[in-house]
Formats: sequence, C-alpha cells, structure tokens
Amino acid sequence: MCKAVAFVTYKEWSAYRTHSLVSVFVGPVYFMVQYFICTAIYGGNITLGGLEFEQTVRYFGASALIGYLTMDFADWNLQMLVRTGKFLTFTLRPMHHRFFALSQKIGHRVLGFFLEFLPCLFIFALLFKVEIIPRYMGWTVLSVALAFLMNFYVNYCLGMTAFYFVQANGIRVVYQLLGSIFSGALIPLSFFPEVIQRIMMFLPFQYTNYIPAMVWTGNNSIGEMGMTIPQAVLYQGIAVIFTALLSEVIYRSSIKRFTAVGA
Amino acid sequence: MRYIKIYLACLHTAFSRAAAYRLDFVLGNLITLLSNIIFPLATVLIYANGARFSGWTMWEVLLIQSVFSMSNALASMISGSVLWVTMDSIQAGSFETVLLKPLSPLFFIAAANFDTGSIGLFLGGLAMTVISASFTGICGTGGILLFLLMFISGAAVMCGLDLIMAAISFKWVGNSRIPEIFDSIKEFGKYPMGIFPRSVQVLSSLILPVSAVGFFPASALLGRLDIRSLISVLPCMLFLLFGVWIYNRMIKIYEGVGG
Repeated sequence: MCKAVAFVTYKEWSAYRTHSLVSVFVGPVYFMVQYFICTAIYGGNITLGGLEFEQTVRYFGASALIGYLTMDFADWNLQMLVRTGKFLTFTLRPMHHRFFALSQKIGHRVLGFFLEFLPCLFIFALLFKVEIIPRYMGWTVLSVALAFLMNFYVNYCLGMTAFYFVQANGIRVVYQLLGSIFSGALIPLSFFPEVIQRIMMFLPFQYTNYIPAMVWTGNNSIGEMGMTIPQAVLYQGIAVIFTALLSEVIYRSSIKRFTAVGA
Repeated sequence: MRYIKIYLACLHTAFSRAAAYRLDFVLGNLITLLSNIIFPLATVLIYANGARFSGWTMWEVLLIQSVFSMSNALASMISGSVLWVTMDSIQAGSFETVLLKPLSPLFFIAAANFDTGSIGLFLGGLAMTVISASFTGICGTGGILLFLLMFISGAAVMCGLDLIMAAISFKWVGNSRIPEIFDSIKEFGKYPMGIFPRSVQVLSSLILPVSAVGFFPASALLGRLDIRSLISVLPCMLFLLFGVWIYNRMIKIYEGVGG
C-alpha cells in the first residue's frame, strides 16, 4: 500500500518537476553566501562554536542536502483537508491517514532525491570542492531517516491543530519561525549559548536538522554537551518515538471533534 | 493627477480593509516582522562567538541588515502583491478582468493590492536602523541625504525584482517557488560587500544591484560610501524601468478565455 501511494505521489509531482529543480539554483546560491560568510568570519580563528572552517562549510552543505531529503508539508496538507472537509474521504478509507500521508511524503522525497539532492550534492562536491561525503555513512543514514520521521510527525501534530481551530495557519507560521532559528539551518546551534543548547534537547527543532547535519559532518563532540554521534542519534531516536506516540494520542482525541458533510 | 487620486483611493481602501480585521492586521504584521528579523540574529551570534567581518563592527553590520529590512518592507508595500495577484490571475485565467480596467494593468494591480501587512516590518526596520545608528554614529546631513538617495535606489531595485518575478509568472505559470530564486540573490545585499569576491561585487552593484539595497545606504549613513558607488544609482533606476518594461511586454503572451 505504501509503495503504491508513494509511486502515485512520485508520478503526480513529476508533472511539476521544474518546481523541484528551482532548488538546483537556490541551494548553491545560499551555500555560496554561507561559504563567503564563513571565509570572512574565520579570518584569524581556528574554531568557532566548536567547529573548524571545513566543518562549518560541510555543515551548511549537509544542512541544505538534509533539507531536500526531509522537506515536508504534512501540516499544511492536513489543515487544508480538515478545513475544507475533504478529510472525510480519508476516514472512509481502509488505511490510517497518517500512514497515507507518510507514504505520500516518501514518494515526494524520492523525487526530491533525484531532482534536488543529487544535483546539489554534485554541485557542492565538484564545484565548491566540499568534502560532502559523510564520514560515518551508517550513522548518517540512520540520523537522516530519523530526521525525516521527526519532521513528518511534528508537522502532522501541527496539522491536527486544524481539528481545534478554524484557521490554524498562524500556529504553523510560528513553528516555522522558531524552526528556522532553532533547527540550526540559519547557523549551527553550537553558536548559541549553552543554556539554549540544553533547552533545545527537549524541543523537536534540532532533531530535524542540526543533529543529522552534525552527524553528517562527522564531528564526534556535538555542541556544548559534547555528545558523541551514537548518543546524539539515540536522543534523536527517543525524540522520534515520543513524537510518534504523541501524534497518535492527539489523533485519537482530535478525530472525535471532526465533523463534515459530503466533502 | 488622475493616477495619484486613484492610488490615494486605493490606499484608503487598503487601510479600511486592515482596520476591519484589526487583530489579523496586528498579528500578521508581528509575524512578518519577527520572521524578517531572524537573519540579524546570525550576525549577533557570530560576533558573540568572537568572530567578526573584518573592518565592520556588529552594529555597522546590523545597520546594513536593518536598512535592508526597511527597503524590503517598502517594496513589499508598493509592489509585493503584484507577483501573487498576477500569478493567481494567470493560473485562474482571470487576468482579463484586470486588462478590462481603463488603467495600466500594472498600476492597477499595484495600487489595488497595497500591502499593509509590511508596515510592521518597515517600522521594525526603522527602529533597528535608529538603534544601530545610535551605536555607530552617523555622518551629518550630507550622509543622511546620500542615504536617502541610495535608499530610494535600493527600494527601486526591490520593486524591480518584484516586477521581474511577476513577469516570469506569465511564462512559468503557477510556480510558487519563483520568489525563492530572487530571495537567494538578495542574500548578497545583506552583508558588507567586501566579504564577496570582486566578480560578485561587480555583479551585485551593477548588473543585479542588490548591494544598493542595504550596503550602499548604510555605508552612506556611516560616511564610508565610496563616491564612485553613486554610479550604481543609474543601474538601480534602469533595473526598475526594466521590470516595468518586461512586465508590460509579458502581458502580451497572456492567453485566457474570458476569466
């Protein structure tokens, strides 16, 4: 079932492949700016935020690539389905909507893998000469897979706010705003004060980008806490399990509130 | 004169609309402001970690970025809606309703969709500029006049970018990622120009003059503007004119069957 939904989604979005191909321009341009910023600020410094110049550059490259593999809009999609009443059609289907949405995401990101991830990987490696191949491939694949799930489950939880509010777009926007700061996409979290890094351990943001990007760079002392890669991935795994369970609890409570006619 | 009267009437309508949904107006402005003041946070963190952009203090860099925010907000108010309205009308096949108006289509769309949602960002950018300038000091009346000239040029570039994006949407129908392409280019205007290689500096000053958005006006205010940089006023104005020209040109390729 998952394979069929993923394949259909892949084909559906293939019709809009130029949307994905925009990333082939946008990703390297952002990376170029980050590269020049790093070059300028590292001037006389050996390490900043516990990262050397090469590690920071690799971090930004990895961060962009991880974004292509884990990108998700389950929140927007679910909110739209609930608001318009179309969610009704999913309650009639012999499969959980969350599983359907996850299968859709897999298909969508497989397309992203070919049209966004691979071209940008080659551009970073060949044009910018960044050592972008992960040092610990197994840990990196596991961490990115967990980030993929984390992003999905968190967004799904956000999407379920539509069961409680007529227009829940503002909640999404606020989360995205916080996520853009605390996921580490703007700047590695190791640049933040230690207290914020500790607080972030209990929030979902860093598990979607910062942790997998640090694992990708192969740095075996992550953040002020000096986490090893296995420790970081373990925390990430715990966070994913917790969020998945939370999404189930919220779903069971939310579905009782859903009313629609006809759809 | 007729166009000014129409624009003022549209402004009145836009503010009346915002006043009708006051909470939405306030929250929308607040979220826009917060989402746009994120990027100076990176600068603060960089300096907090003991690093720096050579030759630039933290407040000077923040001044560049706050002027950029102001310019961005001003352009958003004037022409920010042109892309989305044009894109939606083309996709829905309803652009004829714009073409039927006894006005320039571009003027009508820009006037009728004045974006009050960017007022908060403008005021936030202004506040940040004043705070940053209070730490850096400014270079007298001459500096302020030069700043205003460069600021207007920068806003012209931003409006030009909006119009070029909208023009592209006539050909590249329904691609909501068009702004991302130009947003990435704008990144070059948010930092001291000296950190970029010579080729990028020339490109961002003369061809796609995004340096005129934040860097040149802030440099003028600080009294650090190389007088030769004034030449960039010309490409900035040409950029806006190019935006208007390409938009009007692309209207001709629009096809629809009655809206």
